Amino acid sequence: MPAIVEGNGLTKRFGTGDATVVAIDSVDITIEESELVMIMGDSGCGKTTLISLLGCILTPDAGDIRIDGEPVDPTAQDMSVIRREKIGFVFQLFHLLPYLTALENVMIAMDLARTKTEEAESRATELLTQVGLSDRLLHRPAQLSGGEKQRVSFARALANRPKVIFADEPTANLDSRQSDNLMSLIQELRQEHQTTVAIVTHHEGLRKNADRIIQMKDGRIIAE
Amino acid sequence: MKTLFLKDMRYRQARVVLTALGITVLISLILLLGGIMNGMRIQARQYVESTGADVWISAEGSGGAFIGFSLVVEEYMAFLNAGQGLVPNSASPLIFAQARPNVRGKSTKAIVVGYKLGQLGGPKRAIEGRMFTASNFEDYRPEDPVPYEVVVDEKMGLEIGEQITLGDEKVRVVGKTSSLMFVLDTPLLFMDVRIAQKLLLGNTPHVNMMIAKVNENFPVPEVATQYDEYETIETRTLQQTVGNIIEYYVDEPMKAVQFLRVMLWLAAGILVGMITYVTMLEKTQEIGVLKAIGAANRYVMTLLLKQVALTSAVGVILGLILSYVFAVAAPIFVKIHFAESIIVASISFLVCCGSGYLAARRAITVDPMIAFRGEI
Ligand SMILES: Nc1ncnc2c1ncn2[C@@H]1O[C@H](COP(=O)(O)OP(=O)(O)OP(=O)(O)O)[C@@H](O)[C@H]1O
Ligand SMILES: [Mg+2]
Repeated sequence: MPAIVEGNGLTKRFGTGDATVVAIDSVDITIEESELVMIMGDSGCGKTTLISLLGCILTPDAGDIRIDGEPVDPTAQDMSVIRREKIGFVFQLFHLLPYLTALENVMIAMDLARTKTEEAESRATELLTQVGLSDRLLHRPAQLSGGEKQRVSFARALANRPKVIFADEPTANLDSRQSDNLMSLIQELRQEHQTTVAIVTHHEGLRKNADRIIQMKDGRIIAE
Repeated sequence: MKTLFLKDMRYRQARVVLTALGITVLISLILLLGGIMNGMRIQARQYVESTGADVWISAEGSGGAFIGFSLVVEEYMAFLNAGQGLVPNSASPLIFAQARPNVRGKSTKAIVVGYKLGQLGGPKRAIEGRMFTASNFEDYRPEDPVPYEVVVDEKMGLEIGEQITLGDEKVRVVGKTSSLMFVLDTPLLFMDVRIAQKLLLGNTPHVNMMIAKVNENFPVPEVATQYDEYETIETRTLQQTVGNIIEYYVDEPMKAVQFLRVMLWLAAGILVGMITYVTMLEKTQEIGVLKAIGAANRYVMTLLLKQVALTSAVGVILGLILSYVFAVAAPIFVKIHFAESIIVASISFLVCCGSGYLAARRAITVDPMIAFRGEI
């Protein structure tokens, strides 16, 4: 299987002087096509930092990243292009725009990529139907349950047909039934869209869904 | 989604409406203050220009008859009328003095204009009633009785036959003139120059100034310079006189108002900047999320600027409309020039957008990593 995401010698420090924290310490990581990887580890071990680096929203202090075989150069490239074309994000706190309906929240991702409105609307409708929200298209985030919101954000992450989706604790704010539902949905969507998924989680119960588990500690990968 | 910015604004409508209203009030005040000054300028010149005089002669050192204290003796009449360059017999005596007549039991602000009927300085006929009875000015005899009659500015709202009190004397209203109010809606009381001397100058043979027409064949400035060379008098052209009045009655006293206008502009800019900035702070996470899911800085900037521009435009346009409403409702004469108001509105719009832009520029520097955090 070809590598979709590769990181070599990734290092990220925060702060200066005595307060310096080495959040990611010379990490090598490869995520292969269509894989479902779970990144686990204690709080503060650097999971969020790692996927931020791989997801091109944070610049590493050292090391390089390749997405879909192409090197990422933060000094020469517009990271926003890579983010909207190749990467999808799902956040613990959903982060839907409160003033938009479920449909519009999915459409906006495509709007960023300049997709025509009609096309975006039909794809958003399709995606929301796939995540089981065909009867919630015009609901605003405030009118949706946590599980429903997280499904909208998965639909949003899928909108631009990304190479990889990074999800940071997607189930942390859901109850166990909702998170089971979400996981089986992720499995389904992954098959259907041939998308690579990397999930950061604390839930030991989710292990069984993973193709591979990356265990982190103190900014390093200690087991795969 | 072209309407994304509108959806956001609708979501925050209370704030948007309040910001727009804030701008509205500030802009209308800026325009209104300008309108008040315009009104004062118009009123400063309208009486002076209506006299038809070309040169204005006052006592040496007065700095102009409308500004400093000026008394000239009537003998100058003969001297002026004999002089070269002036239209024969056009030299006219004029008293122009602030007064506080008692009108219907109330002490009222007015200006007494004493002139010689048929000469320069005041209306030749009344629009209602009749003109005052003319007395003999040249042949000054203090003991001569003069009928205390006055022709009033129609805006004073007085009836013909009514009496007003000036000093200790009662003066009868015999006619009305069309309005030529002086700065800040000060109405004019037209009377015979002899009565004005009696009432205001202790019945002495003085006037405040003399005015005259310049012969068509002579250039006005030269004639004025020629008379100005005499040691006891100062001479000014109509233009200089108008300039003096505007400077003395409008520009100088309104300096603070001009300053206030600039401050209001600043306030409008700060208001928009502040509210945009606070809104941005509140939206930090949202902006971070937009950036994390792939929004270019330009995209976010455009989104924010559209909101700032729409809010400012609504505020400015409402302010423009409101200023005209204020102008009509104002208790003094206000004249808002349309072109000027459009310029002021455009500048205000730019000021608001500019400060919104500065706030937005900060906002888009948000680190997209914020999207991974909870509450900040
Ligand atoms: N912007 C930042 N400035 C300073 N330190 C930071 C910053 N972001 C992360 N860190 C530090 O880097 C380390 C790794 O943080 P990170 O958020 O990646 O951990 P995590 O594994 O995601 O933790 P959790 O499971 O609690 O979410 C932590 O010690 C954290 O304090
Ligand atoms: Mg984390």
